[in-house]
Amino acid sequence: MRPTGLLLIIVTLLLMASGAAWGRAVQLRQESMESLGLNQAVTAGLGLTDLCIATEARYTRHPSISDPMAPFMDHPFAIEHFPTGSFWAVPSHIIRVEKFGGKQ
Amino acid sequence: MLIELDLVTKIYNQGHANEVRALTDVTLAIEENTMVCLRGASGSGKSTLLSIIGCVFPPTSGRAAIAGKQLSRLPDRFMTIHRRQNIGFIFQQFNVLPELTVLDNIGLPLLPLGVAPAIRKKRATMLMERLGIAHRADFPARQISGGELQRVAIARALINNQPIILADEPTAHLDTRLSLEFMQIMDDLKTEGKTVIIASHDQLITESPSLDRIIDVKDGRIHHVP
Amino acid sequence: MTPILERHLNLLDYALTSLWRRRLKNAGIMMVFAAVIFLVASFQMLTRGLIDVSEKILTEVPDIVIQKMSAGRQEAIPLDYRERLDDIFGILKVVPRIWGYYFDETNGANYTVMALELDAMPASSQLGRAVIGEVPSNNLNGGIVLGQTVLGNLHLGGRRTFSLFRPDLSLKPLRVVGEFNPATEIMTADLILMSLADGRDLFDMPPEVVTDYCIYVANPAEVGTIARKIAARLPDTRVLTKPQIQKTYQVIFGWRSGFASICLLTALVAFAILAWDKASGLSPEEKREIGILKVIGWQTSDILALRFWESLVVSGLAFLVGCLGAYGHVLFFSGSLFRPILLGWSVIHPSLTIIPVIGGDDLLLIFTFTVVPYMAATVIPAWRSSIVPPEAAIK
Repeated sequence: MRPTGLLLIIVTLLLMASGAAWGRAVQLRQESMESLGLNQAVTAGLGLTDLCIATEARYTRHPSISDPMAPFMDHPFAIEHFPTGSFWAVPSHIIRVEKFGGKQ
Repeated sequence: MLIELDLVTKIYNQGHANEVRALTDVTLAIEENTMVCLRGASGSGKSTLLSIIGCVFPPTSGRAAIAGKQLSRLPDRFMTIHRRQNIGFIFQQFNVLPELTVLDNIGLPLLPLGVAPAIRKKRATMLMERLGIAHRADFPARQISGGELQRVAIARALINNQPIILADEPTAHLDTRLSLEFMQIMDDLKTEGKTVIIASHDQLITESPSLDRIIDVKDGRIHHVP
Repeated sequence: MTPILERHLNLLDYALTSLWRRRLKNAGIMMVFAAVIFLVASFQMLTRGLIDVSEKILTEVPDIVIQKMSAGRQEAIPLDYRERLDDIFGILKVVPRIWGYYFDETNGANYTVMALELDAMPASSQLGRAVIGEVPSNNLNGGIVLGQTVLGNLHLGGRRTFSLFRPDLSLKPLRVVGEFNPATEIMTADLILMSLADGRDLFDMPPEVVTDYCIYVANPAEVGTIARKIAARLPDTRVLTKPQIQKTYQVIFGWRSGFASICLLTALVAFAILAWDKASGLSPEEKREIGILKVIGWQTSDILALRFWESLVVSGLAFLVGCLGAYGHVLFFSGSLFRPILLGWSVIHPSLTIIPVIGGDDLLLIFTFTVVPYMAATVIPAWRSSIVPPEAAIK
């Protein structure tokens, strides 16, 4: 077989593996529909606002409703030092003047 | 005339400090189906002359017509096409790619022409059988002997069935027996109707009875055109 | 077969054999390249997956949340503020809540305590679906519902009762009446749900204040207008609307704004420089090979096509391997390499299943940031080298 044929086989195998992974993701997504409904129920029922992803500080546990001072803790020169603070972007309401025009 | 040179001059690095005048006013005509030797010491300009005949580069001035085309009028792209249709090269160093197999080396000129592998193999096998290297087909070129390497180079020069075969110092790395065998092969090619031009100062070649003509090259000029 | 196609197949064959001849070097380059693509793609897929999850779940957040601000900080909001909102037309419900954080010193973990009168919420009937057991009543009876991680941290064993400290270090007895469904862990992992009365007792808050209000409006299109009215009526409050809350996660996980993506791009640039260096510094053997090919009749365009195929094979395979690896990394290992970055120092790690979201635009983005620079970095120098005059080989 010429080398190009071999390459074709390798690429086909990789694409098939990609397809299989994608199929698995579709399957998982369907399975997650139920848990999505439960999550929506608990969110609506309790008025939750944030995902429980990082619990180290209140502005990482509830970034969407933390007040702008929260990352600076208790005095103006305190340095925000939690790692998520470095990797997450600042929520827009902290750096922007708030507007209530619905979708901005 | 197959090859016609008229007052051909070649100057390398023209206008620079390292300017070299390699050929001066060379006028020469070579007929079809002849075997010619360009004789001269190294540095005499015979390699440059061979390169112009081989359509590697055009002359700095003068007229060079090879197989019906004027070199100075050809853009680089068309010169390459013209070269691969008409010229087969055999180099002093053989210039075979050591990592490729003998078969792949011989088929190399056919790749950009879009020749399918099966046809390449058929044509290469025919040539290898004729030159007695068929048993080496699948060996990497670095594993075979000097004489065999030269046969690979000859096969590669013939694969596209070019009418002109050029050889630059072909026997410099060969012993007497292999050199005589080489001349025999060239003689056979001439019998087939090809034009063979060999640049050499090896007595085994210059005194060979197969030659139709010897052209002496010295200091970039042609001295003896019988 | 047409000669043009056959020509490219031949050149591809040749490119593959010459890649194979230098297999150690090329495999090395491919692995490094695939690793870079893997990192970029993992990060992209993970953040997109998180944004996707958050978008879907956060469709149900309150329409408006109001907090009282004092000296730039949030503080308790008086209950009588509610009366000042009574006459704003369009408000469906105002739900006062007490919520806050409880630091568990034994585990070093932060829990979120949520206390409210459940039947005051418009969607309270749905909550039962997500709770195994009962939901807390409105009474002061210590009945609580726990998130799965809290439940695990407390090591209750078979017990259903335990205590938490009030601010004055007296003990507040609590009784577990239910637990959140493990499927809701992404929202509830650290949650302790209790009645408003119990919450007031635990945090020792005066009877006339709460933490914030959830406000629901009749017409979703009027959220902005109503929020403006509330802000005018209660100037010392901070009014957050549903679109603002929903947008937060798109922004904080947006990969262009992430610090990590800067690191990854730096790695990419370093790789491009490496590729350039490798491609521009032709070894004498490579120069000789090009000279030989040219003198036996290859054109500049043939050698360029050859280099193009070589680069495409290396970068294309690396792209496929890198993207596939990243997809698997997010799908089967929940992006475990990047989880510490996104999760920070949290003690509580909810087990979230992230389904990688990847669209054509993402692939194009990754492709443009990885394969295209590599191709440019190798093919352009190759063009310079392919115009080596053929006589270089003759001597």
